[in-house]
Amino acid sequence: MKERIAIIDGIRTPFCKSGGKYKTLQADDLGAIVLKELVARTNLDVNEISEVIFGNVAQPIHAANIARVITLKAHLPESLIAYTVQRNCASGMEAITTAANKILADEADVIIAGGTESMTHIPLIYNEKMTQLFAALFRAKTLWQRLKVLKTFRLGFLKPIIGLQQGLSDSVIGLNMGQTAEILAREFAITREDQDRFSLRSHRRACNAIQQQYFKSEIVPVPIPPKYNQICSEDDGPRAQQTIEALQKLRPYFDRLTGTVTAGNASQITDGASAVLLMKESRAQAMGYTPLGYLKEYAYAALPADHMGLGPAYATAKLFDKSQLSMDAFDLVEMNEAFASQVIANERAFTSKEFGQKNLGRSEALGEINPDLLNVNGGAIALGHPVGTSGTRLVLTLLRELRRREKQLGLATLCVGGGQGAALAVEVN
Amino acid sequence: MEKAFKLHVDTQGIAELIFDKPDKSMNVFSADVMDELGRHLEDLAYAQDIKVLLIKSAKKNCFIAGADINEIEEVKSRVRIEQMITMGHDVFSRLEKLPYPTIAVIDGVCLGGGLELALACTYRVVTDHAKTSLGLPEVSLGIIPGWGGTQRLPRLIGLTQGMQMILSGKAIDARKAYKLKLADAIFPKEFLADSLLDFAKKCQIYKEQDKIIKRRKQKGLISFFLEKTPFGRSMVFKNAKKSVLAKSGGHYPAPLAALKVLQRSFHIDIYDGLKIEIEEVVKLVDNPITKHLISLFHTGEELKKDPGLLNAHDRSKAIRSTAVLGAGIMGGGIAWLLSKKEYPVRIKDISWNGIAQAYQSAQGIYNQLLKIRKIKPHEVNRKMHCLSGTVDYSGFKQLDIIIEAIVEDLTIKKQIFNELEQHIRSDAILCSNTSSLSIKEISENMVNPERFVGMHFFNPVNRMPLVEVIPSDKTDPDVIVTVVSLLKQLGKTPIIVGDCPGFLVNRILLAGMTEALHLLKEGVDMEFIDSVIEAYGMPMGPFLLADTVGIDVAYKVILLLEKAYGDRMHAPDFLREMVDLDLLGKKNKAGFYLYQGKTKQRNSRSSIDVISKKGTSKSSEEVLDRFIFSMLNEACRCLEENIIRKPHYLDMALILGTGYPPFRGGLLKEADSLGIDVIIKKCEHYSQSVHSRFTPCELLYKMQRGKHTFYQSKGDIPWQVAIN
Repeated sequence: MKERIAIIDGIRTPFCKSGGKYKTLQADDLGAIVLKELVARTNLDVNEISEVIFGNVAQPIHAANIARVITLKAHLPESLIAYTVQRNCASGMEAITTAANKILADEADVIIAGGTESMTHIPLIYNEKMTQLFAALFRAKTLWQRLKVLKTFRLGFLKPIIGLQQGLSDSVIGLNMGQTAEILAREFAITREDQDRFSLRSHRRACNAIQQQYFKSEIVPVPIPPKYNQICSEDDGPRAQQTIEALQKLRPYFDRLTGTVTAGNASQITDGASAVLLMKESRAQAMGYTPLGYLKEYAYAALPADHMGLGPAYATAKLFDKSQLSMDAFDLVEMNEAFASQVIANERAFTSKEFGQKNLGRSEALGEINPDLLNVNGGAIALGHPVGTSGTRLVLTLLRELRRREKQLGLATLCVGGGQGAALAVEVN
Repeated sequence: MEKAFKLHVDTQGIAELIFDKPDKSMNVFSADVMDELGRHLEDLAYAQDIKVLLIKSAKKNCFIAGADINEIEEVKSRVRIEQMITMGHDVFSRLEKLPYPTIAVIDGVCLGGGLELALACTYRVVTDHAKTSLGLPEVSLGIIPGWGGTQRLPRLIGLTQGMQMILSGKAIDARKAYKLKLADAIFPKEFLADSLLDFAKKCQIYKEQDKIIKRRKQKGLISFFLEKTPFGRSMVFKNAKKSVLAKSGGHYPAPLAALKVLQRSFHIDIYDGLKIEIEEVVKLVDNPITKHLISLFHTGEELKKDPGLLNAHDRSKAIRSTAVLGAGIMGGGIAWLLSKKEYPVRIKDISWNGIAQAYQSAQGIYNQLLKIRKIKPHEVNRKMHCLSGTVDYSGFKQLDIIIEAIVEDLTIKKQIFNELEQHIRSDAILCSNTSSLSIKEISENMVNPERFVGMHFFNPVNRMPLVEVIPSDKTDPDVIVTVVSLLKQLGKTPIIVGDCPGFLVNRILLAGMTEALHLLKEGVDMEFIDSVIEAYGMPMGPFLLADTVGIDVAYKVILLLEKAYGDRMHAPDFLREMVDLDLLGKKNKAGFYLYQGKTKQRNSRSSIDVISKKGTSKSSEEVLDRFIFSMLNEACRCLEENIIRKPHYLDMALILGTGYPPFRGGLLKEADSLGIDVIIKKCEHYSQSVHSRFTPCELLYKMQRGKHTFYQSKGDIPWQVAIN
């Protein structure tokens, strides 16, 4: 049997709404903050680190291979190798599982894996027409030629392509993520009421967790440049005053006429970073660490892109096949709340024998998820979903909550744009 | 004697004169080197086989670093100086008049006399190497360029730029030199040989020569007006004089002399100009201020090399990660300093709001640097990422050095260090930035007091170069060496001082400050006292200084010193009243003075009479005497008690730590020029007429008996040499 991968400790920045508190911090800045803090909190000798792996979705143009940029900004040794992974919303998990594989293959001993995202800084870009105009302008040699090119300019050329919108769309099927959530709502007959109730619960649970200071030990406060007169030490997404009525007033965002998915029952657009320290169990013992927990098993699965929200069901089925685990073995479940309808669809898919037989090739249903054990401290609807980071945060938050409750086994799972799912089984002892 | 120059001529007529001063890492001009160069040039004037002459250096990263400063310092007579300078002029004129083109090949530092040689060449080429720098630093030593620099430089690059380089004494890099047309070509260092060959060939072709000369022409109407018209020139000189006077307070003769030379000679024939240059240099070299500045330069060089111990081997440990405890003004400043050199700094404070303040002060200093373009935004971002905050001791196990800068309270400090010792590695170094508490007492209950040392920065950290390093009797020598070497890397000047209340600088300065308070109490006018002390050359009068430091802070320190030294550091009662009345100085806009924006005026609203009312008069002589002699007496006690190792270190510490005027050479230097007899006589006089605190200390009598001076004491030195 292969050795377990120990997750020594983890850290994250507070999650803050995009365009808000972190508007002066780039994704690499956020990453550097968690990286150096994790090294400090684990009292790790920087020379022990073999590699740094970060997940990041939007990949800012000023920081190609953002993992290396983060490593250098955190003032870790120049000799330290680092690379970036991208599996859309699972990028922060991909960093962990890639690291685990490297360690198990004896390619590395000690890896810091994490995720970072600044949705604030996903750029607006010139559209095709404007880009072509520029290209023609660069080619033009004489003043006359240049003027001729300029004559073709129309005001519409200035309409930008919003990078964030494009990023959250699937160009293969021509749908954006919200539209895939609408498909699930219809197929699983999830009402607007169901979705809004779920969202309200997410906010309530997150607010409670913040009030009880459950997140405090996983968060590093962030001094905000350039004035540094503000220290951000709490997630700013959860709304203590949220009411069901207010949620019900919102207009559907993706399908204005007949839709049910609103900005209120979808995940928030958020910035943040998170990182964990990984090594073999034996190495952790040798270094005198008491790990936060262990990675037991993981699986990624693919499915039709327009049903990408069901990724958790597909990936969890694969995970069960790989590990002989079953649903009732899990003490807690963290399922990323991309959309309320998407989580509810999974809940229903998990309990449906028909779905198990038809889509997952199983004779029985996957098993019911106890709503009291699902996202007990709220999820992305309240806390936000910095796409490259969420995967790491789910694992971190899950392990901490398992420890707090003195429980053993947890499932962290999420859906991935483009039609994939990820599922990680983690355990405390 | 081994030769400093080697001449080599190849078959194509390209000659190379290579400067390689034997047994030195740098090339410098001394009398014999100059003599040798002169003889070479005499022969070269008649060499028929040479088409072009390259002057090169065999030293790495150095063309010519200037003239040998020791020689300038040692010269005693005016006649000898004149000889030396005339000789240089002759040699460089000979170089200038060679019948074929000459090229100075500058790869590395090219300063003072080195640049003056290069200026006498037909062409100058530079490499783009980072070490390549060109400048005339003479004014910072109290002299002016004396080998034609004042003549050839402004004629080559224009009056404004030339004057700027001469008056500031600052060196410029290769790119700037090329831009200013000081260099005719810039080559990549790695391909210097090939590029040089090309250039040497070009220099023999008339058309190419013409191109190079044309490039040097000043362009533009403004420059024509400022340089070529008498009215424009007089404007340039008037402004320059104003800014020189503003900067130097008129205390430093060199920049004014340089201006005078330029003004008298820029528009006339160069050979007449050179005569004016000689005239002024001779006057300056004889000036005591020049001697003081050169002597301070030497002290600075000595301190740079001083590892902090008398018998030090290289035992300095590597420092990588650091921490600052307490994110106040000093803590923030120290954190900035460490981040500037890219040491990771963990900032620990009791609250995140405190930590935010450290971030603010660091960013504030970087903003100043950004404004004057001394740093680029991406560098600031990277350096700011050196900082991280914490309210607990997480991450402390990996730290190599921890600098404490919390509140000045012995009990709290001791408690913090006890706590700290449980969270750090056994070989981590501990420092305290205390300004007045005893290092020995702070470390009393430590488990490992041998790793602890005082490290006293001055405020503001980014501007004050001095750091007092205070070992206790238990401090491990390795720790001292490590800390000294770290501080040097941080660009500071560390000076080892003994562990006594106030240490060296504050102890001496406060002796003067309390004396000023006594004068005030006796009814002497406050503004008068400040003006007398400022006229002496101190950057601030004692009352303005007290306001700047903060009356509460000053009061606390004086109390501490009074406790230690008794009557001679007595704090008058009104100081306490001021603290009670919340007259704390600049920080709340009212102290001895009232502050409004940038202006200040006497605090006439104060209920304390000595402050608000104009006082009785005393002669400025008495005011100054009492201020200086109380400091001097205290300085002698410090020597006596072994608080400082060398008198010239003491002088340097006061100059760097209090802004004592460098043109006076130092407090003890000043004492030497007054003479021990005069000092004792005056001290005895004030001891009788004012207070017994002026009674000369034992060392002064000892020196009188042995006819010693502070500088150049030979044989039996009346103060002990510290051994640590």
